[in-house]
Amino acid sequence: MDRALLEGDPHSVLEGMIISAYAIEATKGFIYVRAEYPIAVLHIRKAIDEAHERGLLGDNILGSGYSLDIEVREGAGAFVCGEETAMIASLEGERGMARPKPPYPAVRGYHGEPTIINNVETFANVPLIIEEGGAAFAESGTEGSKGTKIFALAGQVNNTGLVEVPMGATIREIVFGVGGGMPRNREFKAVQMGGPSGGCVPAAHLDLPIDYDSLKEVGAIMGSGGMIVMDNTTCIVDIARYFISFCAEESCGLCAPCRLGTVQLEETLNRITEGKGTLEDLDKLESLGEVVQQTSLCGLGQTAPNPVMSTLRHFRDEYLAHVVDKTCPAGVCTALLPVEATVGKEK
Amino acid sequence: MTAVDLGPAHAVLEDMAPVDHGHAIPLLQNIQESYGYLPREVLLELSSETGIPASHLFGLATFYAQFYLEEHGRHTVRVCRGTACHVRGRKIIQEAIDEELGIGPGETTEDRRFSLETVACVGTCFLAPVVMIDHDYFGNFDPKKVGEIIGGYE
Amino acid sequence: MTVLSALKTVNLTIDGREIIAHEGDTVLEAALTAGIDIPRLCHDPRLKPVGACRLCVVEIEGERGLLTSCTMEVAEGMVVATETDSLAAKRKTVLELILDDHRVTCPTCDKNGDCALMDYSYRYQADQFAFGGYKPGLVEPNFATGNKAIAFDPQLCITCGRCVRICDEVVMASALTFKMRASSVEVTTPFDMPLNETSCVLCGLCISTCPTGAMYDRAALGQGQIKDLEKVQTVCPYCGVGCTMELNVNRETNRIVRVTAPEGSVPNDGNLCVKGKFGFEYVHSAERLTTPLIKENGEFREATWDEALELAGRRLRELRDEHGPDSIAFLSSCRCTNEENYLMQKVARTAGATNNVDQCATTCHAPTVAGLASTFGSGAMTNSIDEIKDVDTLFIIGSNPTEAHPIIGLEMKKALKKGAKMVVCDPRKTWVAQHADIHIQHKPGTDNMLTNAMMRHILDEELHDPEFVESRCENFEAFRKNLQDFTVEEAAEVCDVPAELIRQAAEMYAKGDPSSIFYTLGITEHISGTENVQNLANLSMLTGQIGKRSSGVNPLRGQNNVQGGCDMGAMHGDFPGYQKVADEAVRFKFAEAWGVEIPTNKGGRVTDFIEQAGDGVLRGFYVFGEDPVLSEPNQSKVIASLENLEFLVCQEIFMSETAKLADVILPATSFAEKDGTFTNTERRVQRVRKAVDAPGQAKPDWEIICLMSTAMGHPMEYNDAGEIFDEMASLTPSYGGMSFDRIDEVGLQWPCPADDHPGTEFLHEGQFTHGLGIFKEIRFREADELPDDDYPYILSTGRTLYNYNIGNMTQKSDAIRQKQSKAFVEMHEVDAERLGVANGDLVKVATRRGEVTVKATVGERTRPGALWMPFHFVDQPTNRITNDAFDNITRTAEYKVCAAAVTKSE
Repeated sequence: MDRALLEGDPHSVLEGMIISAYAIEATKGFIYVRAEYPIAVLHIRKAIDEAHERGLLGDNILGSGYSLDIEVREGAGAFVCGEETAMIASLEGERGMARPKPPYPAVRGYHGEPTIINNVETFANVPLIIEEGGAAFAESGTEGSKGTKIFALAGQVNNTGLVEVPMGATIREIVFGVGGGMPRNREFKAVQMGGPSGGCVPAAHLDLPIDYDSLKEVGAIMGSGGMIVMDNTTCIVDIARYFISFCAEESCGLCAPCRLGTVQLEETLNRITEGKGTLEDLDKLESLGEVVQQTSLCGLGQTAPNPVMSTLRHFRDEYLAHVVDKTCPAGVCTALLPVEATVGKEK
Repeated sequence: MTAVDLGPAHAVLEDMAPVDHGHAIPLLQNIQESYGYLPREVLLELSSETGIPASHLFGLATFYAQFYLEEHGRHTVRVCRGTACHVRGRKIIQEAIDEELGIGPGETTEDRRFSLETVACVGTCFLAPVVMIDHDYFGNFDPKKVGEIIGGYE
Repeated sequence: MTVLSALKTVNLTIDGREIIAHEGDTVLEAALTAGIDIPRLCHDPRLKPVGACRLCVVEIEGERGLLTSCTMEVAEGMVVATETDSLAAKRKTVLELILDDHRVTCPTCDKNGDCALMDYSYRYQADQFAFGGYKPGLVEPNFATGNKAIAFDPQLCITCGRCVRICDEVVMASALTFKMRASSVEVTTPFDMPLNETSCVLCGLCISTCPTGAMYDRAALGQGQIKDLEKVQTVCPYCGVGCTMELNVNRETNRIVRVTAPEGSVPNDGNLCVKGKFGFEYVHSAERLTTPLIKENGEFREATWDEALELAGRRLRELRDEHGPDSIAFLSSCRCTNEENYLMQKVARTAGATNNVDQCATTCHAPTVAGLASTFGSGAMTNSIDEIKDVDTLFIIGSNPTEAHPIIGLEMKKALKKGAKMVVCDPRKTWVAQHADIHIQHKPGTDNMLTNAMMRHILDEELHDPEFVESRCENFEAFRKNLQDFTVEEAAEVCDVPAELIRQAAEMYAKGDPSSIFYTLGITEHISGTENVQNLANLSMLTGQIGKRSSGVNPLRGQNNVQGGCDMGAMHGDFPGYQKVADEAVRFKFAEAWGVEIPTNKGGRVTDFIEQAGDGVLRGFYVFGEDPVLSEPNQSKVIASLENLEFLVCQEIFMSETAKLADVILPATSFAEKDGTFTNTERRVQRVRKAVDAPGQAKPDWEIICLMSTAMGHPMEYNDAGEIFDEMASLTPSYGGMSFDRIDEVGLQWPCPADDHPGTEFLHEGQFTHGLGIFKEIRFREADELPDDDYPYILSTGRTLYNYNIGNMTQKSDAIRQKQSKAFVEMHEVDAERLGVANGDLVKVATRRGEVTVKATVGERTRPGALWMPFHFVDQPTNRITNDAFDNITRTAEYKVCAAAVTKSE
């Protein structure tokens, strides 16, 4: 969704940044874009050039005496650089390794200077708020979460794509309304929200109005705004394993609990999907997950266990099926498929 | 092994001058753009020209997935392993491509035609599953068409 | 004086205790100060905290989640819990994760006994099998494989990153890095290159900071686990920095196994350099002398102590009696202790009845002693090493601190990290030159032209300190008048550097708040050495950059105890504490104390002794721990002179080149085998302690000197080194308040005149030692031997990082030999190209005095037309070709300039 904004409306992002920078008297700005989004890079660079041409960037903007320079930096392939302190390290030319907070970047950030870091979507909202006023923005949304929110709806749902809805819309409205429901009328199982460190929200919460607070209650996050719909052909243990393996690979490797703890979580889930899991493994997932959440240095490690923890909470039966009954209800985990022939041979 | 021509590296340095520590990553990106990968001789030269320690450049080159220290294929096939792609059959696609190219992720074909990689979400989840070849996107990727699509790249 | 802002205090509660900390302290620092030990694996006080290991997390009231105490700053009213059940459980889990990634080899690990991982695992009862246990894979060669200094076992590495950070932040060598990320992350060098091919300087700080046994001293492997070793605190035997170190001794084998430095040690802050860390093998060398030797018919034979002493004592006494006080001389040793130097000059003046006593300062820093004494009244480093990090402008001339005084180099790096500016005047592009704001690469031997031009510019621009000049100094008008003959433009031409650089350097120094001068032998080893020093004193007085914290004139002294050797009066004109022999009252004091009549002959310096030996004036020579054949210029002349002696006695630990010429050799002890004190370059008197027994019949030097005195007819006896020190202190006002008890841990800096005096961090506060500072009118004099058609290059000599002086100690170390074991000549690539010489080619370097054949190191480190050679290698003795021209005041040789020719060797 950030990509779409940068490609489709780069000036809204730029304008939001210029206004925000002016507000805090910053003189240097960076837009950190993944190199995997070449068109976004191209468009935002062009937008910057255009802004310079019109005197909206550079020295003495519109004769105000205020100067601002914005530089585009392409990410070099490290998920952790989405974490603000790792991003700062990357901008400074370092390995994208996170730094402890406090001090927060707003106090000591890029090269020790106060630094504000915001998401593309946030900046894109700024011009609107300035123009229409805060009240207009707050007209939509819920008590705690104002405005609209863009979700990237994907997975096993009929209509995929970007969806902008007011805060407080329910999952059912998005998946079965805008999303057009499940393909082949399969059963809705869960929606994974917030990217690799988000959580899985089960069918029981289909009528949950989505905002920052409600998601937190069910163990998910707004995060990247990704909404991946899953039906009953998706194995929830496999999904948890998939997410933790992603985080384990993307860990910067600096702090021990994230570097090593995510690997242990992954290995435990591997065992479970291979039919070698035990009930103790479930306890271990929870207790280790908690240590990783509480002791990791940055957001990546602190949230990496979320998918494991949220699926354990909402889909414990499916874990028990893997561990106790040695079956995979979704039929995904190959080691647990009922292959009579094999069993017969062994006997 | 033939010596690497340092000319392009000097051109990059000149273009970016003055290069300080903070520009180490864009520097490596430009060098890779120029050479297709990061040759050892070039990194050592960059270090002595800029004063950025060689250890530092090497640390960056191995941290960021974008950088290659070995010569790369003419084309890069990137299989998205994002969540949306994962739940829509990324695994089958990966297997089909591995088989077609005869290599695994992180490897390059012997004729240096292709390098195969996985990528963490290319940001087109609504097209899942997605494969990128160089700068081209292939959405709703059909594993049966692997041969046909790959064949389009020489 | 710079007023250090008083640190504000902060009140907080840690584990229920009220604690007062300094603002800016971290919670960890505050807790440690209060004796509360928070577990930590990635923390080292020398490094910026990164919060990686997560063991030091604590609970802070009102804060979200757990916070790392190593990064969290204290705040007023903060309430911290460092040890709760919940924290303990989490620490246990984190340790179990780490143990699962660490091969547990404690029974065979050398680090057993000093391993943080082991200690915390025990404390929290972490189970190494909680996650299944470490699964060893294939052991592949790594960057340290085959390195004789540093070993690295990746299976023991817990990737805390301390080695990488210390190499980067403290050493600024940046030889190590993290490779890859996530669980693949590993410590290595760029491209996994062998360590000795990288920018590694072999200081071993990576080893010093490693919390496990992953980084280790190669030579120590299997020689004793730390728990079984005894640490003996002593002082490094190499350069004048005087690093506090611990010899880790295996009592069973009577061997030093490894060398460490305690955390926060003075003055080295837990750091060592390659020489201190890996240069101790000479102590246990099979080449050590173990028995007295007497030469008969040109061959040495083993002798008893009685025989050797009787012969040596009798011959010296006979020569003295027959030919007078100038017929014998005593050369003392700055590698040895203060006690031994004190005794040597005492023996010379009592048993020998002569003032013919000297030590190696004549070879190096005698111009410092003379130059600073004549301007300030006191010939030593004015400031402390600890003050360097707070210098604003470092002015470094004729000094290569990162190689010759590496730990002072580290302090300069601290200053640079804090934003200091740096001016470096050096004909070579040394590390400091490359990192300087201004590098003046002047022609060797033109220092006074440069300094005068700078001072002229400072005066012209009125950047001097008139108040300081007026109130603290004298002879300013004559000095000012002298400068009228010098201009920046003329200096630019003579020195061959841009005039603008000279102006900028002058301004940067004058404006520094504060600035401090550092110099070494690039200043002193010239025929104008003393004048060079005096002119630096002028520069500091002119700008008022002297007599305050972090600001002054700082000669970095070369040998471990060359400051002490001078302090002890092993010089013809001085008694201990620079009390003048010429002063009758002083002579009376020593005559009283020693019970003899003090000789009044003028005496000479080592360079005089050698000349007089050649002339037949000097007949008997007692050389103690020196090797003039290798260290003095124009070697063939030195050998001929020494061969002309009637009797030569050498007191040595090795068969040195000089010892080979001796009639009697007395086997002596190294620093590790005796007690005593050294005085470092910042005037700090430090304890040297016996760690191992001497080999064979070798005796502590102070005992040998006593025996020699007795053999010469003047009985002398002491029970131990402390007794000698006490006698010396009672006769030496600047050492008067010192005793072994008082200097036990960190030493004391002279002047320390009374038992309750705290010692002196920096000199000349308020007034100079002799009252007013004296400006000197310094003219420019060309070097003695300038390039001509036959010898078109300027050759300078000096030291490298890896070796020390004549190399007889450092070259015994496998680790050092692996890195550097051969002589070489540095030359500029322009010259090399013209001569058809490629890097690594053998070349012949010739002067009017001889030639040597060495490898060429071609690059841009020297100026075009200039050559540079180290003098550490006995096979290719550089001093075969150096010039025996001397400073007019101190008779120090001009090692830094002679004319040479280079040809490619066929």
